[in-house]
Amino acid sequence: MDAKLTEVAQLFERFKAASIRNDFDSAANLLSQLKVLLTEFKSLPPLFEESPNAIQELTIARDIYEHAVVLSVKTEDQDAFERDFFQLKPYYTDTGSRLPPSPQEYPILGLNLLRLLVQNRIAEFHTELELLSSSALENPCIKHAVELEQSFMEGAYNRVLSARRTVPHETYVYFMDLLAKTVRDEIAGCSEKAYDYLSINNARQMLMFSTDKELYEYISEDHPEWEVKNGSVFFQKVKESAPSKEIPSLQLINQTLSYARELERIV
Amino acid sequence: MTQDVEMKEVAAPSNSTSSAVPSTLQHLKEIAALIETGAYAREVRRVVRAVRLTITLRRKLKASVVSAFLGYALAAGSEAHARLVSYLPREDEHDMEVDTASSVTQPPVKHSLPELEIYCYLLVLIFLIDQKKFSEAKACSSTSIARLRTLNRRTVDVLASRLYFYYSYSYEMTGDLAEIRGNLLALHRIATLRHDELGQETLLNLLLRNYLHYNLYDQAEKLRSKAPRFEAHSNQQFCRYLFYLGKIRTIQLEYTDAKESLLQAARKAPAAARGFRVQCNKWAIIVRLLLGEIPERTVFMQKGMKKALVPYFELTNAVRVGDLELFRVVAEKFASTFSSDGTHNLIVRLRHNVIRTGLRNISISYSRISLADVAQKLRLDSENPVADAESIVAKAIRDGAIDATIDHANGWMVSKETGDVYSTNEPQFAFNSRIAFCLNMHNEAVRALRFPPNSHKKEKESAEKRRERQQQEQELAKHIAEEDDDEF
Repeated sequence: MDAKLTEVAQLFERFKAASIRNDFDSAANLLSQLKVLLTEFKSLPPLFEESPNAIQELTIARDIYEHAVVLSVKTEDQDAFERDFFQLKPYYTDTGSRLPPSPQEYPILGLNLLRLLVQNRIAEFHTELELLSSSALENPCIKHAVELEQSFMEGAYNRVLSARRTVPHETYVYFMDLLAKTVRDEIAGCSEKAYDYLSINNARQMLMFSTDKELYEYISEDHPEWEVKNGSVFFQKVKESAPSKEIPSLQLINQTLSYARELERIV
Repeated sequence: MTQDVEMKEVAAPSNSTSSAVPSTLQHLKEIAALIETGAYAREVRRVVRAVRLTITLRRKLKASVVSAFLGYALAAGSEAHARLVSYLPREDEHDMEVDTASSVTQPPVKHSLPELEIYCYLLVLIFLIDQKKFSEAKACSSTSIARLRTLNRRTVDVLASRLYFYYSYSYEMTGDLAEIRGNLLALHRIATLRHDELGQETLLNLLLRNYLHYNLYDQAEKLRSKAPRFEAHSNQQFCRYLFYLGKIRTIQLEYTDAKESLLQAARKAPAAARGFRVQCNKWAIIVRLLLGEIPERTVFMQKGMKKALVPYFELTNAVRVGDLELFRVVAEKFASTFSSDGTHNLIVRLRHNVIRTGLRNISISYSRISLADVAQKLRLDSENPVADAESIVAKAIRDGAIDATIDHANGWMVSKETGDVYSTNEPQFAFNSRIAFCLNMHNEAVRALRFPPNSHKKEKESAEKRRERQQQEQELAKHIAEEDDDEF
């Protein structure tokens, strides 16, 4: 093992220790030092040069980025997550023939799917999904994210919420909490269209608040148009009024004129 | 000019026919003559024609014929000749002697045009692929590509684009498509710098195919959106492009655009290219289902596609009825078909549409129904079906799929009376959008009439030329058909 590799390995140990201690500042510091050191290895993507230590270098680099992703979840930094994930991705896609698969691969891929779901980047979610083999789709971590997306699309929100209890990996909790907020907004949006009114009790349960006070705060902040009276929440005001009976004459004139113009062109 | 070609064609056989029926070798020599005149006169059209004629000869090619032609077209001692001959299998000793003997009587071509050399590469490559000798084909195509890089002649472009295609094809057959991605990108760059639009078109499609082969939709879309676009030169390349575009858009949930591309691809593809059209139709059906449309029965009954589309027909049926159980059964029954078509993930997405249709049916049939019954009818199997049903119904109401309200206290879904639709502006909107569609279609048709794809050829079409063109079109159709049979 040459000197550089040893140095990286030592630094990596210190980084891991710091991240386990939840000492995020020093962990982030060590991580940026590590990333700089990694740039000196020619065997890493995108160069993939053959070198005697290639396998060890690739393995340690992959480990470092995996830990970086986990660290970014712990520090709740979504941008850092995205960056680190993209740096990690080539190790999963392009080194398959040289390295044994990492045990962290599926949890991290699942985590990324979850992130895309939380950020409502559904198109990218599906693009990522296409890259996974059918055996990968069976993996509990991936399956969890896929089922979440389905429930979300269908509108089975309580299934989304109950999924929080069955997270396959402890790092998932952060994104699940974010998802819960999104779900609450979705439920509120659906409720105001679907119900005429809801009793305070039901509304509180449905929107997952533990006290009435929280509910009132939420209503006054996000939905001031809702009306609270007689122990119920009324959504009536939001509903559109009946379509007016008058003829949209201006629009009709415009359309008819354009037909005439087009017809003239044909004849 | 045209007369010139005609004369040459007539003259060539009379010069050298020793037998009444012109042999395949004879045909090849005619093609070589065509390429030569094309190269000297810098007329790309003739080279195009030569390539098409070659495709018709494809089935008749034999090792002996090919090697005899190589002897005719390339200087005997040249490097290219030696290399190309080495790819051909040694057999039919007897035949070969006869043919070489006859070719000796020909005045040997002293100067070797680059066009002819490239053509020889192409011929050998086609031959090797037809013989299923893919590893030789790979070696041959790689050397030809290396040679092509050094050439910069417009008349070579047509041949080059065919070579690119077979280059990628031979790698695909051996499953090494990822290897040549860098090369293809470099070639695309070269083609762009040389304004070789046909080459760009072909290479872009090959790259897209390459990416999509590995499900790299992200990269494919990035390349596609940045690559220069221009009016299509070749219909078949344009069809492919539309198909790949449709696939990318489907994955990225842009269903409306995807549907347009896929249907256009299916329509533009020549009738003979059945495999390709089946593929387009499969994707188009799913996209339409995802959009909430139900494809007509005639789509599934198209000639020659009925069998291939059976799984998709049953799937459509399940979505139409809105029966989750039936949907699950169909998805399981044809799981292997769907995963080999690469549509499995899309079908997973369809579940949501099945629920919607089921819900719409319920909402139409009942004016008031308990949520427990809704859950039962939709066959939602979860721990808490009523709560699930309630939120699903709520979302459907918000998305405008059904017109109803929920009474939470009693656990009912109450459908609203469907008002008289003719009292609203709705019919007028529908009418307007249809008129707009028709007018648009007419305008598009007029535009297409005025600017045919070959408008750069400004010569007027004489009767003779028209005949030639029609013949060429027929060849083209056949050619696409064969190619697509290969692909699918």
